[in-house]
Amino acid sequence: MSDGLLIDVRALSKDFRTFRRREGVWGSVQNLFVRDYLTVNAVDKVSFEVARGEMVGYIGPNGAGKSTSIKMLTGILMPSSGEARVNGFLPYKQRRQYVKTIGVVFGQRTQLWWDIAVIESFKLLRRIYEVSERDFRERMEKFNQILGIQDYLYTPVRKLSLGERMRCDLAAALLHNPPLLFLDEPTIGLDVVAKDQIRKFLRAINREFQTTVLLTTHDLDDIEELCRRIMIIDHGRLLYDGPLDLLKQKLLRTKQIKFAVKDSEQLARVQSITRDGLELEQVDQLTYRIRFDRVKVSTSDLIRQILNTVEVRDLLIEDEPIEEVVKRIYAGEALDEVAL
Amino acid sequence: MSLRNSLIVYRKELRDMLRDKRTIRSMVIIPVIAFPLLFWGISKVMTSVMGEAATETAPIMVNGGTNSPKVLAALRKLPGIQLLPYQDDAKQEVSDKKIRAVVEIPNGIDTVATGSQSKQVSIGYYENDVKSEMTRDKLQKFFDDYRDGVARAALIARGMSPEILEPFKVQVKNVAPPAKVSAAIFGGWIPYLIIIFSFTGAMYPAMDLTAGEKERGTLETILSSPVSRTDLVIGKFLMVMTASVVTAVLSLASVGFAGRHMMSGAQQQTMNLSISPSTVIAVAVILLPLTVLFASMLLAVALLAKSYREAQTYVSPLVFVAIAPAIIGALPGVELNWKTALVPILNTSLVSKEVIGGTYHWTTMLMVFGMTCVYAAISLGAAIYMFNREDVLFRT
Repeated sequence: MSDGLLIDVRALSKDFRTFRRREGVWGSVQNLFVRDYLTVNAVDKVSFEVARGEMVGYIGPNGAGKSTSIKMLTGILMPSSGEARVNGFLPYKQRRQYVKTIGVVFGQRTQLWWDIAVIESFKLLRRIYEVSERDFRERMEKFNQILGIQDYLYTPVRKLSLGERMRCDLAAALLHNPPLLFLDEPTIGLDVVAKDQIRKFLRAINREFQTTVLLTTHDLDDIEELCRRIMIIDHGRLLYDGPLDLLKQKLLRTKQIKFAVKDSEQLARVQSITRDGLELEQVDQLTYRIRFDRVKVSTSDLIRQILNTVEVRDLLIEDEPIEEVVKRIYAGEALDEVAL
Repeated sequence: MSLRNSLIVYRKELRDMLRDKRTIRSMVIIPVIAFPLLFWGISKVMTSVMGEAATETAPIMVNGGTNSPKVLAALRKLPGIQLLPYQDDAKQEVSDKKIRAVVEIPNGIDTVATGSQSKQVSIGYYENDVKSEMTRDKLQKFFDDYRDGVARAALIARGMSPEILEPFKVQVKNVAPPAKVSAAIFGGWIPYLIIIFSFTGAMYPAMDLTAGEKERGTLETILSSPVSRTDLVIGKFLMVMTASVVTAVLSLASVGFAGRHMMSGAQQQTMNLSISPSTVIAVAVILLPLTVLFASMLLAVALLAKSYREAQTYVSPLVFVAIAPAIIGALPGVELNWKTALVPILNTSLVSKEVIGGTYHWTTMLMVFGMTCVYAAISLGAAIYMFNREDVLFRT
């Protein structure tokens, strides 16, 4: 393993044995006596590497194998086959030493204890992770600065809002200053302001401490704002691993130009903008949207044509939302054009 | 295994529990308030039932005796008895609780007939009905006395001393110390109560610390901390055991207090159970491995569940598993032998019963203690094994 490499995953797989549930009342009775077991490959020969200081987005639809991967990488689950070496440890074999070098936040669950004040959870974690009193104080101060958690340190966790709790959870996960942070759906259920705060914080710790972050999410804004690299997993298989930009470049087929015309006299002229692979839509009285295939239509040509045809007050070029791309990948669109 | 980490887990769970109002309610408030109330209620009801029975004028019916006017006259004078005119359905009246007893008096019992067959007075009553039984006792005494009177009069009439009737008296006397006497009745129920309390006290936290944690999703987070699974189980186990012991101690103290202060004097006398501090210590030592068994068994079983509700369906049948041997052990007559000494829970119950009665069979005590320790160790091992199994922790 080279020096800058934090995560090195080779053909990692996890199988679960479950049984086929029969339908109906009679089926349920049959289930009690005879079970057809099936093996589900939750994670199927996944390989990737993550270098120090990277922020990698790990995305996929529900049940794709994201959480199972994270659980294996954090030492909670034992892989069925393959190998994962993280921070120089085998997570599932050297779990206790290993987890002292990582931080984990599960978005939908908290590692803070429900009925006790936040600060008490921190103090307990300090003891569990054997953080010195001095380091603890220093880091708490830092977290207070960036996350602004000092106001509710003495509130029981159950009384915190989701956003407040997530900030505390992040602080808790970073209390022992791990070089690597796993985040499972860190912004799930948060409002826009809270999401923004979390993202700012993640950028800050990545910048300041070189903390490597692997995050799973459903919110592609998280990815766009935080990660340069994404990995897409579905049905346990890694479908894409590479720069976000490359994915967009190769897979973003349509672009759109939104423009506002000067006055209603322009309307008739707008209708004359026609080309193959172009779709015109009136957004409101004076605003139009043109969606076009960027392979067939050159963006600059189109802009020139628009400007020559009508008097434009405002013009905006937009990419297809990343959601659309991901949706297409999930739907099984070939990724052949993208180098894996 | 690291004791330090187990203790951290333990302290965390303890703190969490103490802040959870549900625990405090089930562990402290209910036993402490419920028992005095219960005893007070029972005592009140008993006193009023007994009092009512004692002061009642019991209606009875008498069949026959028309040619024994003296006995009828005496019966009419008997306090607390009211003679109603005889009806043919008198027995039915007794079972309908309209009258307390029906008396059949044969002819001529006022006089002693020589050479003829002994005559028979019969009293019909309602068994196990307090009022009817009290009337029966009253009538039986009346007829016994009356019979003796008739016999005595006959002897005197023939110039003989009535002493002949009673050449000697029989006296029955209890020589066992009162503590042992009440131990025979109640000694079995004390271990029974402790067993039930320590079991129920462990139930709630055991479910909360396993299935509850799964439900809240906090299991993954604790599993991703540098605490080994064994340390985690030990910490949780210590917490469950603490809850179990505290509940048992509080409940017992509450029962003791209630028994002493909430019952009437007469009721207290039948419960004259004096337990020395050494007995308390001995019983506590004997019962300790049992709480280990309970705590670890409950943890292992509750961990199978995915949710608190599911855990309840698994744990409820276990209540019977724990209570059945405890009840059998509490029954008078069930004694400790090498066979019963092997049955978990039952053996502990029986040994405690003996100890409370003041009997110390050291070898059997040691054997029972050892056996329970073995069962407890197996159960704790099972709990640790369960916590190390992925398919149990993350059941789908």
